[in-house]
Amino acid sequence: MKLSSVRPIALLISKELVIAAFLLLGVSFVIFIILFLSPGDPFSTMLKGQMLSGAAKAGAREALGISQAWYSQYLSWLANMLHGDFGTSTRTGLPVLGEVIRVGINTLYLTVASMLLTLLLAVPIAIFSARRGMTFFNWTSTIFTYVVSALPIFWLGYIVIYISMHQFGFFPLAFGSSSQKFDWLNFMLPVFVLGIGNGTISEVVRYLREEMERVFSEDYIRTAHAKGASIWKHSFKEGFLIPITETIATKIPFILGGAVVVEQVFNWPGMGRMAWQAAQDRDYPLIMGITLLAAIIVRLGSLIQRVVHIMVNPRASQE
Amino acid sequence: MKRYSQHSIEIGDFSGVPFWKKAAVMDLMYVSYGIFIVILVIGSYILGAFDLLPYDPHEINLDLLMAPPESTGHLLGTDFMGRDILSRLIIGIQAYFLPGLLAIAIAIIFGTCFGVLAGYWGSGFDTIVTYINNLLNSFPRLVLILLMVAAFKPDIYYIMVIVGITNVPVVASLIKGKIQFLKQKYFIEAATALGLNNRVIIFKHILWHNCRSLLIIQATLGMAEAILMETSLSYLGFGVQEPTPSWGNMVQAGANYFMQGKFWPSTAPALAILFTIMGFHLLGDGLNNILERKQGK
Repeated sequence: MKLSSVRPIALLISKELVIAAFLLLGVSFVIFIILFLSPGDPFSTMLKGQMLSGAAKAGAREALGISQAWYSQYLSWLANMLHGDFGTSTRTGLPVLGEVIRVGINTLYLTVASMLLTLLLAVPIAIFSARRGMTFFNWTSTIFTYVVSALPIFWLGYIVIYISMHQFGFFPLAFGSSSQKFDWLNFMLPVFVLGIGNGTISEVVRYLREEMERVFSEDYIRTAHAKGASIWKHSFKEGFLIPITETIATKIPFILGGAVVVEQVFNWPGMGRMAWQAAQDRDYPLIMGITLLAAIIVRLGSLIQRVVHIMVNPRASQE
Repeated sequence: MKRYSQHSIEIGDFSGVPFWKKAAVMDLMYVSYGIFIVILVIGSYILGAFDLLPYDPHEINLDLLMAPPESTGHLLGTDFMGRDILSRLIIGIQAYFLPGLLAIAIAIIFGTCFGVLAGYWGSGFDTIVTYINNLLNSFPRLVLILLMVAAFKPDIYYIMVIVGITNVPVVASLIKGKIQFLKQKYFIEAATALGLNNRVIIFKHILWHNCRSLLIIQATLGMAEAILMETSLSYLGFGVQEPTPSWGNMVQAGANYFMQGKFWPSTAPALAILFTIMGFHLLGDGLNNILERKQGK
């Protein structure tokens, strides 16, 4: 690639980076406002039930920086986070950042693998029904995707556990609890459940099919077909690459949400389970860190999607 | 909530053929199944509201713990405290019905307002609506609600307010896209030239004549999402609490017995969730194919 063709793309990508930074700033502000408005600050939750004199309480609040005005609280909180200090969990007393990253990696395995499974199921169905119209196979598979995406994910989890227990005599333990380096069976069951039951398959199929049908009926595809060129090669970028990346980027939040439930069913030591625990304990710093990390993952996904979009079609993002 | 890509439909496609004759058979089947489910839900809700139940859903019967379906006059059997499952399923609709309607109302009303502001009056609002849309899409819904649970310990109505608020930008961006598309057509220009005021153009010519079906579809899908949220949260223990029945906490309560081979206490509510959510999804997608795409196959 020549430099002159790289430059506008680099400019657009840096614009996307600035937008992402602004959005993350907004995310942190929303989280802060929620916590600021909540009745009782983390401090009083931390010292619940312990008798303290008023003066000692005021002194401790002063030391924690709670008595300041809201904007200075927000700014100091933001500055701490930029230094990598996300506070300490009020329940375990461990630093939040380390904890969240430790479990975040487990959740990353789970979500990436389930996303792949969802796409493995959805893409062939979408391609077949976009290309061949409504045959019997496509009809049944479309109905199947609707049933599957309405399945309550926790119940699907029970069925899978029951079958693995009674048919295969295998009880799914928590991931990472066995002595092996990487236990595939304990890994595959939750991935299967989340990949099937995250409730997005029918929508992914519908979106991909609509986009592919649209691209297949474009003039340039008809021309390619008429001169005997491969349709797939010509429609790959617009009809496949862009819709797929867009689907992945928009479905990441749903898969992370589904992960909360699946991790609960399978005792998966991940972010969702930790968020559930933190919500029960009202462990503010921890759930704040988890929400921020989740938002960062979502924004990263859509940043990558925008970059792919710009690489494929630089003209489209110059509005 | 889902979003649909905007299709360029023919404005003024008023050939006398009624829409159900132009629609594909599949879509009609989707919609009729969806309407059946909606009638079933509303009917059961009314039954529950007037207390016309086969058994008292809170009555504990220690002689009939975990009775299998159809065995002792209980159509769907009893749960681990001997309570009739069918009655609890019907009462469980109350857990999401009104809160779900609240979420839909918030999403539709505020979404329409912001959508009109962004689409009809210029780019400043447009930027703000796009920003808020991206902002709210950055949070996984369930994680955001868990954060709210940690902060406020809200009950189901407040949770549904949050679900509604997170859906506002979705509706807003759909309405915005629709209005920007409609503005290219001449009828709005003509209406302005004829001296109609903005109120009439927006409410009558834009919202009523051209956005009606879109809003109905979004309301349908919003109900599906409200049910999903309510059941997931009740399952996790943050939504509706025992002894008030909700489909989510019924599945959760039956979970221990599921592993012993007694499936019905958690399977009955799970199937209820499955068929209801599927009904709302099919209704939304079918209506979208029939009303919004119009060109037919």
